[in-house]
Amino acid sequence: MATEMIMPKVDMDQETGTVVEWIKGNGQQVEEGETILVIETDKIAIDVEAPGTGTLDGISANPGEVIPIGTVIAYILEEGEKLPDQPAKPIETAEEPSLPDPPAASGRIEVSATPVARKMAEAHGIDLSAVNASGTGGKVTKEDVQAVVSRAGKPVDPHDIYATPAARRTARLEGLNLGLIQGSGPGGRIQLADVKNYQTSKPQITKPAGPQTQAGESIPLIGMRRKIAKRLTESYQSIPHIQFTVRVDMSNFIKARNDYNELALTRGDEKVSVTAMLVKLVAMVLADHPWLNSSLSDDKIFFHEDINIGLAVALDEGLIVPVVKNADQKGISVIAVESNDLIKRARKKNLTSADVKGGTFTITNLGPFGVEQFNAIINPPEAGILAVGATIPEVVALPEGAIATRPMMRLTLSADHRIVDGAVAAGFIGDLKTTLENPNLMNY
Amino acid sequence: MREITYLEAIREAMTQEMERDSRVFLIGEDIGEYGGAFQVTYGMLEKFGPERILDTPITELGLTGAATGAALIGMRPIAEIMFMDFTTLASEQLVNQAAKLRFMFGGQSTVPMVLRTAAGSGTGAAEHHSQSFENWFVHVPGLKVVMPTTPYDVKGLLVSAIRDDNPVVFIEHKLLYKTKGDVPEELYEIPLGKADVKREGKDLTIIATAIMVQRSLQAAEELEKEGIEVEVVDPRTLRPLDTETIVNSVKKTGKVLIVHEAVKTGGFGGELAGIIAESEAFGYLDAPILRLAGREVPIPYNRNLEYNSVPQVEDIVEKARELIKLRV
Amino acid sequence: MKLTKERAEHYLLQMYQIRAFEEQAEKSYMAGKIHGTMHLSIGQEASAVGSISTLEPTDFIIGHHRGHGLCISKGADLNLMMAEFYGKENGYCRGRGGSMHIADVAGGNLGANGVVGGGIPLAVGVGIGLKMQGENRVLLAFFGDGAASTGAFHESMILAVLYQVPVVFICENNQYAMSFAANDWTTSKKIAAHGEIYGMPGSCSTDGNDLLEVQSAVEAAVKRAREGGGPSLIVNDTYRWRGHSKSDRNRYRTKEEIEEWKKKDPIVRFRKQCVSEKLLTEKEVEKIKEQGYADIESARIFAEASPEPDVATLEEGVYAP
Repeated sequence: MATEMIMPKVDMDQETGTVVEWIKGNGQQVEEGETILVIETDKIAIDVEAPGTGTLDGISANPGEVIPIGTVIAYILEEGEKLPDQPAKPIETAEEPSLPDPPAASGRIEVSATPVARKMAEAHGIDLSAVNASGTGGKVTKEDVQAVVSRAGKPVDPHDIYATPAARRTARLEGLNLGLIQGSGPGGRIQLADVKNYQTSKPQITKPAGPQTQAGESIPLIGMRRKIAKRLTESYQSIPHIQFTVRVDMSNFIKARNDYNELALTRGDEKVSVTAMLVKLVAMVLADHPWLNSSLSDDKIFFHEDINIGLAVALDEGLIVPVVKNADQKGISVIAVESNDLIKRARKKNLTSADVKGGTFTITNLGPFGVEQFNAIINPPEAGILAVGATIPEVVALPEGAIATRPMMRLTLSADHRIVDGAVAAGFIGDLKTTLENPNLMNY
Repeated sequence: MREITYLEAIREAMTQEMERDSRVFLIGEDIGEYGGAFQVTYGMLEKFGPERILDTPITELGLTGAATGAALIGMRPIAEIMFMDFTTLASEQLVNQAAKLRFMFGGQSTVPMVLRTAAGSGTGAAEHHSQSFENWFVHVPGLKVVMPTTPYDVKGLLVSAIRDDNPVVFIEHKLLYKTKGDVPEELYEIPLGKADVKREGKDLTIIATAIMVQRSLQAAEELEKEGIEVEVVDPRTLRPLDTETIVNSVKKTGKVLIVHEAVKTGGFGGELAGIIAESEAFGYLDAPILRLAGREVPIPYNRNLEYNSVPQVEDIVEKARELIKLRV
Repeated sequence: MKLTKERAEHYLLQMYQIRAFEEQAEKSYMAGKIHGTMHLSIGQEASAVGSISTLEPTDFIIGHHRGHGLCISKGADLNLMMAEFYGKENGYCRGRGGSMHIADVAGGNLGANGVVGGGIPLAVGVGIGLKMQGENRVLLAFFGDGAASTGAFHESMILAVLYQVPVVFICENNQYAMSFAANDWTTSKKIAAHGEIYGMPGSCSTDGNDLLEVQSAVEAAVKRAREGGGPSLIVNDTYRWRGHSKSDRNRYRTKEEIEEWKKKDPIVRFRKQCVSEKLLTEKEVEKIKEQGYADIESARIFAEASPEPDVATLEEGVYAP
């Protein structure tokens, strides 16, 4: 009997996987356990192994396509076997109740769609009522939604689109992508009404996932750029950022760090980096400012129990943010080890999905590049991000009136103004400044 | 205001203008004692005498040339060609002479004449007495072409045509002669080159000429019951055309149906479609421009065949529905 | 009318101007300076001058495509005529008409016509208008044997008689329509007979190359028209030396025939008459000839120096405001 190969679930919260690349193709021999497919979930690429030995055939998911987990995407055929006639049903997994239909907005009809199609559409923010239904009884099928998604992915040549002049004009004026709009006119022609309907049902931003941890396998990292761009754009466009900058006198911080490293040396421990110290200190301050350690989800603000600090690491392909979990509870030496490890593995593209999940606050440090001050974009679903600038000797005026040269660093907090008020943000950054200027205060 | 027929309105326009301006005279076949084939000039011979009501033998070419020549030296003749079908015989003098003399002579000459003619089918007169050739004359620089629909319009437009210093082809529809409407008693002008929105609506523009205006208005009444609001635009003058009114209407509704009696191929509807497609209205079109027009056939004798040779009210309703429901 | 010295000088000058104009037109054309084509009336000078000499300045003429001679006879400004021939902006018709369509409306020339017979129905209408205006003005309507076969001609004859228009219809029978010989279907006498049949008493044919004979016939007809006697048809029997147009290879007639007719040169005949009746001396005649050719030379210079029409004005003048 033909062995089904399904889109695997590798994360607890994962609902879909994107096909990146088939290592083997239709008609080729595969062995059980052999990596024959690369998929991508959220930010990480994952190898998928063949579930059996035989001939790979009936591939029904192509690179770029987003497939709900459990969907059959290929078959492994034994000698003499043929592909099954009907597409197999997706395997039911434990936590898959049918999601409710998308809310009917301003007079739209309830759309009949397969559960798979529904999930796909939701993942991509596609209005089901605008999708051309080809299923029996007018149901929207996965293929129907895929068609819209595929169209969305390709650059749209207006000449390929069948639309009326009025539809084109309005789409052009409103900056809408005709390629995403389904036509209700004869022959699938896009009418003005279709464009107008599309306008009133713009896609929702993907809902932020909650925090979690999961063990995973070692995986390579590929295809990040598009994901990053999408996330950053969404963040920038949907989150109202407020930004606060403080100048921090790093004299005591530097002294403390030197002390730590002297101790570390004698013990043979890992060196304590500036980053590691920042992680610890920021985590300690966050403990007193829960608003900065929260997430907004469905009109509810979720205050995270754990304080998991993400460290932004720059790679050639883009940015990756491994997370130091429960940073407030770990000693600096432990954090030093962890953060060094994370950063090293990040650069080697050896992070697991667990490494990048669950962050509640992010620190991004461009000091080593000489950047004095910058504003970072929040990493959703977090409430804030701290941008760390370079430490530079500056002439400062002391409270007593004298002048001295001190190592000064600028910290900029970007906070989600929906969650964090100005005063709250100011309170946090003020405390942080105080703590960084007197690190031993954290023992208080 | 009193009601008179389209025919009476024409007679009144000519009579009042002839009283006002001694340069105006009529020339045509059987317009004297007979009163005109459709009785338009009934009574005018008695009023103005044979010096100003020139009855002619069967000489379409001759009489059209005579009108042109008289206009050349300052008279203001109104020539009548009984049936538009016979303008074929007159067209040398109309197209080669009347239309061109002014331009050809570098502006030295003026041809202030009107050529009235009766067009259209529906009377069982068949192939040689039922045609509409308005597009032939729209095609000629130097001519003006007018196609009035209502008694009110026909009087005002004829007065303007008589007063215009250019050759005007004034096309009346046979089936409209007996229609009635409110017409002011005094002389008034309706400017040439100005369209009339006969009915306002937001869902669909119908541009129609002559009797198709009436039929489109009837169709609009029908469609209103289905919640479809039709705007009916009557160009009134085909050359020069009031493109502004037409473009504004199409911009408003995004859908346009053109209805005329004349044969569809090469008909005026193609010109209108081209004008719309070239205009700003193009960007507002939400469906193809549709034309409903005469079938590709000479007008047959049999009553039912004749009926089916040109658009009727039900055809207009059906086509409009097609357009609104985006079946095209 | 009596042939006085003045008149003789005037007629002869006009005939030489016509001859010179036509010859110059030919030269300019062959030099590549003229667009299109032209229809020369060399040999028909007496018909033009003889007929039009009967008119008052306030009378009208309407012509045909071979009408340079008619224009000149009606007193056209030679400069403006030549400029129009050259298609220039300051020609009579702003370069829009050219050779076939010259008009001088202010001078009573209602224009030439590119359609054979196109002017005849117009003539009827002009006549109707003149009659209505009641100023005793007369129209000479010129056409050729070619037009005598058209429906336009016949319809116009009927209408002209019906309305008793003050029009003298003058058929210049130069023996050929384009290439179709008039004698294959009619003669000058027969054409004139149409006039009688349609109801124009006094219609007749003349030796079209005899200026005085033409003048006499037309004068009588003009008088009749002016006095309310209605239209007449005069047929001037003449000949064109050149082909129909520039593309004419003269395949339809013989060199001999042309030579025969050249011997009847209307200018030569009139010269002889003037000299023999002691109205003009040979010397005076020569001077007049020189004058005629000189006038045309001036016109040529004027025309060649005149400006071309501006393309930006292309669509002007189609409609009266």
